[in-house]
Amino acid sequence: MTPRCRQVLECLVEATTGTLSPQDRTGIAEHLAVCAGCRREAAAIETTVARLRGAGAFAVPPGFWAEFTDRLQARIALERQPWPLRMRRWMASPRHAWGTLAAAAALALAVSAAVRLTPPRSPAPDPVTLRARGLVTETMSATLPSLGEVLDTWRAGLVLETDGVTDRRPP
Amino acid sequence: MAIVDAEDRHLLEAFRRGEESAFAALVIKYREGVYRVARRMLGSHEDAADVTQEVFIRAHRALPRFDGRSQLSTWLYRITVNLCLDARDRRARISLPDADESLLDRLATPGLDEEAQRRELGWLIARAVAALPPRQRAMAVLRLYQDLPYQEIARIMGCSEGTVKATMFAAVRRLRQTLEAQGVRAP
Repeated sequence: MTPRCRQVLECLVEATTGTLSPQDRTGIAEHLAVCAGCRREAAAIETTVARLRGAGAFAVPPGFWAEFTDRLQARIALERQPWPLRMRRWMASPRHAWGTLAAAAALALAVSAAVRLTPPRSPAPDPVTLRARGLVTETMSATLPSLGEVLDTWRAGLVLETDGVTDRRPP
Repeated sequence: MAIVDAEDRHLLEAFRRGEESAFAALVIKYREGVYRVARRMLGSHEDAADVTQEVFIRAHRALPRFDGRSQLSTWLYRITVNLCLDARDRRARISLPDADESLLDRLATPGLDEEAQRRELGWLIARAVAALPPRQRAMAVLRLYQDLPYQEIARIMGCSEGTVKATMFAAVRRLRQTLEAQGVRAP
């Protein structure tokens, strides 16, 4: 089979079904006149296409299109409803209602379990306290166990002074 | 909107203005073509009816965004072919019955009435088409039964015209072999 044969064979269905330009059709006819193999193939394709096209259309059952239109309009109307209404229709089916209920219950359980099992987080110390604690050595803590409380008390007073709420300095 | 034909353009504009009757007119215009493609591709009336319904539901949703860069029919056939290919992927095999020896014998019987013979031949052809690989089948259906030009088939299938040409040749050759194996001879 020559490259021209392959080219012609690929155009045969198009030529047989009638969409090829007159120029291309002439080119194919010229090749078929000199190539017996392609001529046989062309005849077989023509016969097959005629057979396939002659099979006829499928008939739909009587009343099908009227029922089709009704169903289509019903579905489109359903799609146009606002979502609470659609939800209500969805929940009207017991299968959907139980499914949604089960999913909601599972979600509630998962959220409550996550809340309970998460360890409580202590509030982050402010930068002033952090800096003061950095200065406290182990020896200082051992000598004065309540040093932490002293520091907190000192810090509380410092904040009040800075804010200008109380002025405890002697006049 | 250069490609869409005048009637479709008019109906599309009316639909975008909120006239539902324009959509109904489009459904009436294209429903049979869509159904025929789905029926040839899927082999059963029920499946084809479901796909046809789904095509127009999707079209109704997406029509406001349809940009008119292709014919409306091309766009609808593309939705149809994609849905049919998806539907077939979900199913293990086609729903047509296996070959029946007695049917082939009856086809060869000269006394069989012409209408029955035509119907049974149609069944054999539908079976041969349904046995093609999915994309070959889609192209064969669009060309042989919907008479679409190769250029439009290429747009629907998302490939080049050259691919359509080569695939169509392979499809027709395969159909010929299948029909010959089933004893269907030239008319």
